[in-house]
Amino acid sequence: MSEDEKKKGGFFQAVKEFVYGVAAHDSARFALKTRASMEHLFILITMGDMLGVPILPPYYSLRLLPYVVPQISTWKRRMLREKDLTDALA
Amino acid sequence: MFGGKGGLGKTTFSAAAAYYLAKQGKRVLVFSVDPQASLSDIFKKDIFGKGPTEIMPNLYAQEIDADRRVKEYQQEIRQKILDMYGMDSIPEEIESYIQAAAAEPAMEESAIFDEVVDIVVHGGYDYYIYDLVPLGHALYYLSMASVYDEWIDKITGLRQQMREYDQVAAVIRQEKELDEDAILNELLYIKERINKSSSILTDKQKTAFFFVVTAEEMIINDTIKAAELFAKFDVPMSGYIINRVLPSTLKDQHIPEYLKNRLTMQEHYLKVIDEVFKGQILALVPEMERDVTGLQMIEKIANSMFY
Amino acid sequence: MNSVVVLILGLIVFFVGYRFYAKYVDTKIMKSDPKRVTPAKMYMDGVDFMPTSKNILFGYQFKSIAGAAPIIGPIIAIQWGWLPALIWILAGAFFIGWVQDYSTAMIAMRKDGASLGGLSHKLISPRARIILLAFLYFYLLLIAGAFGNVVVSTAIGLKAAPIAWLFLTIGGVLAGQMIYKWKKDIILTTVVTVVIALVGIWLGTVAPSDKIIGASLANSRWLWTIAAFVFCYFAAVLPIWRFALPINYVASYIVFLGLFFGIIGIFILHPNFTLPAYTNFSIKIGPLWPIMFVTIACGAISGWHSLVSTSGTARQLENELDARPVGGGVMFVEMMLALFALIIAGTIYASSAEYGAAIAKGPGAIFAAGVSKFLGVLGLPAETGRSYGSVMMIVLAVTIMQLVIRFMRIATSELLSDISPIFRNAHVGTFIASILGMILVLTGWWQYLWVLFGGANQLMASLALMLVTAYLMSEGKPAAYAFYPMIFMFVTTVAALTYTSYNLLLKVFTGAVKGEALIGNTLMGFVGIFLVLAALVLAAEGFKAFKRYKLMRTPVAGAKT
Repeated sequence: MSEDEKKKGGFFQAVKEFVYGVAAHDSARFALKTRASMEHLFILITMGDMLGVPILPPYYSLRLLPYVVPQISTWKRRMLREKDLTDALA
Repeated sequence: MFGGKGGLGKTTFSAAAAYYLAKQGKRVLVFSVDPQASLSDIFKKDIFGKGPTEIMPNLYAQEIDADRRVKEYQQEIRQKILDMYGMDSIPEEIESYIQAAAAEPAMEESAIFDEVVDIVVHGGYDYYIYDLVPLGHALYYLSMASVYDEWIDKITGLRQQMREYDQVAAVIRQEKELDEDAILNELLYIKERINKSSSILTDKQKTAFFFVVTAEEMIINDTIKAAELFAKFDVPMSGYIINRVLPSTLKDQHIPEYLKNRLTMQEHYLKVIDEVFKGQILALVPEMERDVTGLQMIEKIANSMFY
Repeated sequence: MNSVVVLILGLIVFFVGYRFYAKYVDTKIMKSDPKRVTPAKMYMDGVDFMPTSKNILFGYQFKSIAGAAPIIGPIIAIQWGWLPALIWILAGAFFIGWVQDYSTAMIAMRKDGASLGGLSHKLISPRARIILLAFLYFYLLLIAGAFGNVVVSTAIGLKAAPIAWLFLTIGGVLAGQMIYKWKKDIILTTVVTVVIALVGIWLGTVAPSDKIIGASLANSRWLWTIAAFVFCYFAAVLPIWRFALPINYVASYIVFLGLFFGIIGIFILHPNFTLPAYTNFSIKIGPLWPIMFVTIACGAISGWHSLVSTSGTARQLENELDARPVGGGVMFVEMMLALFALIIAGTIYASSAEYGAAIAKGPGAIFAAGVSKFLGVLGLPAETGRSYGSVMMIVLAVTIMQLVIRFMRIATSELLSDISPIFRNAHVGTFIASILGMILVLTGWWQYLWVLFGGANQLMASLALMLVTAYLMSEGKPAAYAFYPMIFMFVTTVAALTYTSYNLLLKVFTGAVKGEALIGNTLMGFVGIFLVLAALVLAAEGFKAFKRYKLMRTPVAGAKT
């Protein structure tokens, strides 16, 4: 949604977003969350070398490298981030 | 394809076979990835890393410079990253990964086979003669090919699942069609390349694989082992060529004692070879009086191979 | 007093609190800065950190915090009279409720999106984190027990509820298939599944449970307890998109349609309060202070919200300025929800005796009667309205319950997997949590259970405020706005928990209870004692941290202020 559209929609748009937030946001977030954690698994498999876990032959993982460049740093951070129970709560 | 332990004359036979086929009027490309540039030596012409070079009518030779290939490939990846994201320079951790990946031993093998696929896929010749690197590499590559294949399948499956979730999110948010997943295409491409390169090695219709052996115990034992492994990976074994056979006529001449011993030994091992590789021996090529270099000598070898 | 006056009072508190007090804290103390990059943006990974617009987050936060608690609390608390409850709801939300919700979101953002565990580790001490996690487990257990009770009493008290609940579940499971498997258009999915749920609500009136399975089964606490926990078991063990998520999805439409039209109904009907404004200081569940203050938990202040604010919302806010509407604003909306429940309880019964008879059956029936009355104004038949209210109550309770069982499962694996890998198994963790929860539901008196839950919930809030105070002190900011609420909540909840646990255990040791109640009293008593002890240790750790921050700040602060 661009800024323009948001302004045009005004109140109606806000209500729509609120309803979406109440009903659907969790589901969409879950789908994207699952997708993203798979993405990270994918990077682990293909670029595992970066953390010292070689799985795919490097020749081919290099081919995939350009596509995952933006995700690499978030991936590393997430892999190394300390987590506990309270992280799973929401 | 000619294979065998190092120094047994694979390059010689590759060149000779190419020569023979070229003489028959076929367009032939003989190529190797040997970093020692033995094709250059044998044709007395520096062709290392220069692409297909004409040696004589219909006969082309090429020596792959794996090292350069890897470097070019790295550069290609870098360029792609720069283009895709409009960056001025490669982020440090990405660059160090590119460097580290290139240093892996498996990198070179993959690069070599990728090039081989390129050569064969590119076409333009009736015959390709491939002077294999020392056996280990080819075997390693073959053994990994099936593993890689499975991995790629798994990863592709993972990507497809991810796409499912993308679609779900799009459904919930009422978004329109999604972009194609470039990675999925890239994976399919890789899968195809890996399959292609291993099928080149194992295609029974189009590929013939020759082992070069000499009449020595160690060589024979190693060859037997290698042949078993090749059989396991479905490499179509077409036969064995025995090199450096001392002419048996020598025996009746006046020759030094040690040469006589060698002859007796050779006789014994030739019998062994005969038994072990029964019916698969294609030619016995005699020991030449001088180094095999230059077209003349190649012709001579070719003659003893094919007639 | 007229119910509309109560709603208007609520709106005034909402306006002043949000517009002035919250605005003041936001600009002068927290100094929220729209230019500061929030963790959602800085660490965006599409998993935990995802920048999201404030309107969506407003809905998300509301859905996450508005469970059964803000409704049930006032319904029970009106036993002391509606006036103390009203005052506490308004004052609690104004001085404490939004403070906690907003501030925890804010400090989580300032601390790189750390969760409560991470925050207590960073701001107080490593030990604080461990104690907090253990505290959380029993807090969650009490939620499971208290809400399980609501489900059971509602299913028994309203015979239409089971069928309505079943149809909602079917609709939800179908929604899961339609969205995730068949990828059908979301509007189609929503309409089809919500209609299924609505048909179930109507069908419940035609085919009440006692007609289908017989009166003895329909009245069996065992049956409905098992049903509730089997439901939660599925939710915890099945892939989340197959069961938990889509059921919540369908349920949210049912619930919010009901609330929306119910509030309209209140305005149309604007009834007067019929129950007394004040009854007695001491009633059966205990004295007004501290017990009423924990009975109304959510709606005034709730520790649960701090979990949502930190682990969920703080990682999605795309602008620091959004913390006030999302963290603070939603709390005031929840306050309105509590007022809605207070109005229901206070206006629909002609006399205290009538109310007394109703509350003995559990809060679900009262709520359903209220929903029926206010939806009735809009033309819905009374029986269908009651069915509607009952299913609202059940899903409000059960959605939180299944979330809690899921968390307890994760907690089991986190806390106990070092002892034996068996605790990592999803079934083992879920089973333990379900059994403990079932024991509580089957053996504990629900009003005590509710007080314990409320106590734990508010104590949680106090601990969250402790983290806020520690943050403010560590930054050299004025901490009073969080510090005093923390002290008040701490003293109140420790008193409430101690009082209730003492009573429970006294009955155990004097032999006043036997059989089921013996188990229930013992379990509840010890859980209460444990929570108090854990909170005391945490408070000691917290005060050590406060001292540390004060010491660190003294020379600088003296020069600066």
